[in-house]
Amino acid sequence: MKRYIRNIGSVVLPLLFVVFTLCAVEAHAADATTTAEVSMAEGIKAYADKDYAAAVDSFERVASLGYADAELYYNLANAYFKLGQNRLSASGRTFADGELGRAVLNYRRALRLDPSMEDARYNLDIAVDHTNDTEAIPESFIVGLWHAIANRATTNGWTIFSVVDLVVLLAALLCYLLSQSIVLRKLTFVIAIVALLLFIFSSAFALSQRAKLQDRGQAVVVCNDTTPVHASPDSASKVIRQPSQGVTVELLRAHGEWTEILFSDGEKGWIRSNVIEIV
Amino acid sequence: MLLLIRRIVFTIALLLASVEAWAQVSFTADAPALTAMGSPFRVEFTVDAEPDNRSIAAPNFEGFELLAGPSISTGHSVQFINGKQSSSYSCTFTYVLLPEREGTFTIGAATVEVEGKKYSTKPFPVEVIAEKSSANSGGKGASNNPESRIGKDDILLRLKLSDTEVYKGEAIRASLVLYTRASIDRIESLEMPPFDDFWMQEITFDNTPSREEYNGRVYETYKIRELLLSPQRSGEVVIPAATMNVVAQVVQSNSRGFDPIFGGRQVYHISRKLTTPEQKIQVKEFPKGAPASFAGAVGRFSLSAKMPEAEIKANSSDQISITISGDGNLKFITAPKCHLPESFELYDTKSVDNIKVTATGTSGSITYTYPFVARSAGTFIIEPLEFSFFDPATGSYTTLATERFTVEVLDDGKSSSETIHTGVFADYGGSMRQLNRDIRFIHTDVRPERAASLFIFSPLYWLVVVFLLAVFVVLFVLLRRRMRLNRNVVARRMRHADKVAVQRLRMAEKYMKEQNRHAFYEEMLRAMWGYIGDKFNIPVSALTKETIREELYRRGVSSVDAEQFCEIISRLDEAQYAPVSEGDMNSVYGDAVDVISKIESIIKH
Repeated sequence: MKRYIRNIGSVVLPLLFVVFTLCAVEAHAADATTTAEVSMAEGIKAYADKDYAAAVDSFERVASLGYADAELYYNLANAYFKLGQNRLSASGRTFADGELGRAVLNYRRALRLDPSMEDARYNLDIAVDHTNDTEAIPESFIVGLWHAIANRATTNGWTIFSVVDLVVLLAALLCYLLSQSIVLRKLTFVIAIVALLLFIFSSAFALSQRAKLQDRGQAVVVCNDTTPVHASPDSASKVIRQPSQGVTVELLRAHGEWTEILFSDGEKGWIRSNVIEIV
Repeated sequence: MLLLIRRIVFTIALLLASVEAWAQVSFTADAPALTAMGSPFRVEFTVDAEPDNRSIAAPNFEGFELLAGPSISTGHSVQFINGKQSSSYSCTFTYVLLPEREGTFTIGAATVEVEGKKYSTKPFPVEVIAEKSSANSGGKGASNNPESRIGKDDILLRLKLSDTEVYKGEAIRASLVLYTRASIDRIESLEMPPFDDFWMQEITFDNTPSREEYNGRVYETYKIRELLLSPQRSGEVVIPAATMNVVAQVVQSNSRGFDPIFGGRQVYHISRKLTTPEQKIQVKEFPKGAPASFAGAVGRFSLSAKMPEAEIKANSSDQISITISGDGNLKFITAPKCHLPESFELYDTKSVDNIKVTATGTSGSITYTYPFVARSAGTFIIEPLEFSFFDPATGSYTTLATERFTVEVLDDGKSSSETIHTGVFADYGGSMRQLNRDIRFIHTDVRPERAASLFIFSPLYWLVVVFLLAVFVVLFVLLRRRMRLNRNVVARRMRHADKVAVQRLRMAEKYMKEQNRHAFYEEMLRAMWGYIGDKFNIPVSALTKETIREELYRRGVSSVDAEQFCEIISRLDEAQYAPVSEGDMNSVYGDAVDVISKIESIIKH
């Protein structure tokens, strides 16, 4: 009996410890959550009061706490855009401090996390209009349709949809296999086929969205005005293009302090790594 | 008659002309500026009026030997042009001189008296050089062949360039000049070299012949073409040869010393093909450190600008215009970039040029106009427009800029919301963009969330999928087993229906022998109903005569047999409670066995 009690003690004590630790972690996390929520609220208020610099600071603080949220990035991008648009430089130029590049970067981050965010897509379109980004090579009808449908939901949305489809599929299959009635068998057969197709496509959309989410090969040019892109990783080489801030490029490879990039129209070049920011 | 009138008119015209001619007298001297030792030349003094005494006071021809002269020739011409009559008179005194020694000598002023007034020519220099002897030069009497009278160096074609080392875009003057020591009859063909690497422009030129020394010999020179070349690429650029065919004239004394008709002289025509040597031009690249606004302008320019009004109304159009003027490659300069504030809509730049091509290059001015519409009210700064050019004379870049300009855009009276023109489009470099759009508002009702973990292919996902599949398999197996079991019971009952019936019939037979009427009929009914119930898997509660008829009919039993089956049941029902003899029991039993075996045989097959 005594031994039994001791055994209970040896089990309970570490258990208690674990519970307390979890509580502490939870409390700490709750603390961070409140800080983030407060900062977020402050940012939203500052934005509404047209104090865009303060809004940028608040949203950046939330982002620095490790929150990767599409809504947060969307708000941050909006704050950057408004800040750059409203603060004229001494020469009367807008976006003199690289705000446009930051805005495009954060819209892209929001869309990477939530491709179904229509507001971010709309605002990104406006921001890109202020850059000298080239027209992308238009995608084919099928690919365009695929992306249009896939972007209706996030990865998790498509995954849950696929699981629901799986449930319907299995139920219909069960009915089909066990039913005696011809009519019921025909009906459940059709339902099963439709559910199977929906399951396959929604899983494919989920994978497609996951690939976009996990693709860190996109970057945005973040500089004050324009930056030279060279033909080779050498500042003495020929300047082939002068992208402005906010131009989105694909990353190809790095070499020293240079990165090879691919423009949306297919042109390649080398850019200094410190003027691009990965989406 | 007509002739007479003409003569009278002519005479009157002459008289009038001679009266008019006194008005202005010109007295000029003409002589080559360059001559060679040993070659005589002519000095002509021309006066366009009748000199008094028909003589002039000739200057002292210091340094020259007077070979002949003065010989006097007079000319008179009358012209009618568009009904207007003009006449000219000229009197020329010609002296033939031979240089005595090398050097530059001045032929002094000659004076003439016309109507008692004195006129004099300007003194002019004549340069005398000693020519090098050329092996090929026309050997005097060396040969009688007329071809050999014109040496290889006697007719030359040269492309003279004003410069051979220039910057890209800088203009070079190129003159194609024919040098000759023989008299040229005609030019037969001319082939200009291709100026592939140049922008080329022909310019008009003075085509009076002159004399020039080249390689120590004196030539008559004729300009054939004059071009303005502007190299378009850097490096060594080669101008290929130009070729020209000329026909020269040689006058030769007849070999026999006399000719019965033409006085012992004969004229030969000699054709020569001339080519210019290839020429190389070093085109220099622009030096490093070109300003950002440099776009290839070379020369010397000035910039003037006309800015819009300091106060303009919103949504009204205005323009900035700048004028670049000067000498240089004006035709190649591009419009300076105009950076306007964001709310300004800039339209296509227009340019008007006024460019002249002269011997020194192109000069003139280009005016660029930038029309714009200011869309929103406020104070805006218009950035300076910059224009850079390269000055080859100093070898440096110069950047000109307009002044920074502040413009006040006044509200056009409409409320600010109305000034937002949705659907106003502008064409920026081919892509249509909608103006006056703004970004949508932030999302206010949000809580920051950490990145959601992905559900797909997560352990939970696999758990759910495996669970669903397991539920499916378990349900399928269980349900199928139950259904199969169910079906087996039925099948067994159906299989055993006849046996059960047979057993019951045997039982009834036993009761019949025992004369247990009640038990017999009960057992018989049970056998009959039970047989149909088991056989056709119909619950006993649902059994009626109607259902029996239906089921039997569906299984191909004739209606007669079905009717008989039902009739037996009716008889059994009636007999159960009625006092019937033994024979009845026997006959009913026999009929029942018959009909069941009949139905059994029909159903089995």
